[in-house]
Amino acid sequence: MNRSRRTKILCRGSKGLRDSLSAEIARTHRILEIEAPDRGLVMVKMREAARHGLFYLGELLVTEARVQVEGAVGIGIIAGDEEEAAFSLAVIDAACNGEFPETSAWDELLIAEERRLESEVLAADRRVLETKVDFQTMDQEPE
Amino acid sequence: MGYVAVKGGEAAIEASIERLKYERLKTGSFLSVEAVSGGMKALIDQVMSEGSLYDEGIAAIAIKQAAGSPEEAVFLVRAYRSTLPRKHYSIAAEPSSMRVERRVSACFKDIPGGQILGTSADYTHRLIDRGLCSETPEENESWLRDWNGREPEADPPEGSPSLDALPNVIGFLREEGLLPRLPIDDAEPHDVTKKALEFPTVRSERLQILTRGQTGAVTALGYAALRSYGALHPTVGELRVGMVAVYVANPSGDEDSTDDAYYVGEVRITEVESLVPVPVERGQGRTEIEFDIGYGACFGQNETKAIAMSILDQCLESGDKRYPTQDEEFVLMHVDSVEATGFISHLKLPHYVTFQSKLDAARRTRAREAGK
Repeated sequence: MNRSRRTKILCRGSKGLRDSLSAEIARTHRILEIEAPDRGLVMVKMREAARHGLFYLGELLVTEARVQVEGAVGIGIIAGDEEEAAFSLAVIDAACNGEFPETSAWDELLIAEERRLESEVLAADRRVLETKVDFQTMDQEPE
Repeated sequence: MGYVAVKGGEAAIEASIERLKYERLKTGSFLSVEAVSGGMKALIDQVMSEGSLYDEGIAAIAIKQAAGSPEEAVFLVRAYRSTLPRKHYSIAAEPSSMRVERRVSACFKDIPGGQILGTSADYTHRLIDRGLCSETPEENESWLRDWNGREPEADPPEGSPSLDALPNVIGFLREEGLLPRLPIDDAEPHDVTKKALEFPTVRSERLQILTRGQTGAVTALGYAALRSYGALHPTVGELRVGMVAVYVANPSGDEDSTDDAYYVGEVRITEVESLVPVPVERGQGRTEIEFDIGYGACFGQNETKAIAMSILDQCLESGDKRYPTQDEEFVLMHVDSVEATGFISHLKLPHYVTFQSKLDAARRTRAREAGK
């Protein structure tokens, strides 16, 4: 599973999944904190639809952490004030970068979480679609 | 007359600051940050947009601290933002990636994917709801349980596009040849937070200033352009509100790889494309109508601001200085909340010496004239 898909599931998914994967690594490996979880900014770059150029929309508050596990460096970045989540994400990222054996069973868990998130989103979308307009053309007087 | 250094006022200032807290607490009704977050979504969106910092929690604290004053809350957010390191620039978010929560077009009744009203006060009667004075937590919880438990009346029709893949309305006009097809422009944007503005500006600077502009100022100038200072009447081709995912490139990997990027979170934005009919002279007295596009986008659900921004974007692209709303210096130098309110507010700070010297000059002139 590539990084963007994995981090999307982990950022949006349950705290329990992040904590359990991170704890699995912490049980058997020494985690060296390179950068303690701290707040920072991500400047959001946006493509505008009128002339297809780029501009800066504004900044997103994030929490970021960096760790090293068995020589592999991991980064955890997540929107908001989320120190614990950023640390867990960094540990998971390090384990994936280092291709630790523990990670071989993770895809299954991540895909199950992804399915759960997708079903939540689809349910929310269906509620939004209740507000979709059903236009009916009114009868017109013959000329 | 020389300058005279004065001091004093510390105790008065302390007492004045203490009164701020007293005014906030005196009724015995304390507003929690959670209550601000839950019940003041529109104000939070406005403060995040003008503060140019997306974080609902920080905006809610700022609103509470500012006792609901948007200008003070935006000042607090901007000040907080200046204490934080900018760690990354995101990969460019594409408008087509938005998960739509609301989407309407004033140009076309039938748009692929349909008109989706989402959450909006546009369709309400604007009558004061006195029932809000007596609502109880139990009633609200019960209402929420019912709403959450309700199944949608019908499944979306087969083949309905997903809300994260709704086609862009102006894309159809491009396909029809009514709007020019434009190439993707990947030029790195300029950043007005890093470098002071110089005129003439580039488009990325104009859009950045407008998107963080004060809602009232952007709306007022957009309105002025419509009424009589810009000679145009745009129509909203599409207005979308929805969530856009933010990704950061792997710092030790390929910066163009989206697969290797870090997902960070998502931001709710409002995005507008307005279509502006422009008469074009074709020679021999022949005039044709072409369409220009104005673009507006901002953090949160701030629809009036985004529409006004799209009007001003088109005005500034035209740049006909006969109209103040097409003069980039006039527009861009006056829409920022912190700059405008800061400059106006400084007028109430002590100007004892400068004013005294003006007063002395006036007295001397009077004395000279009296002696003639």
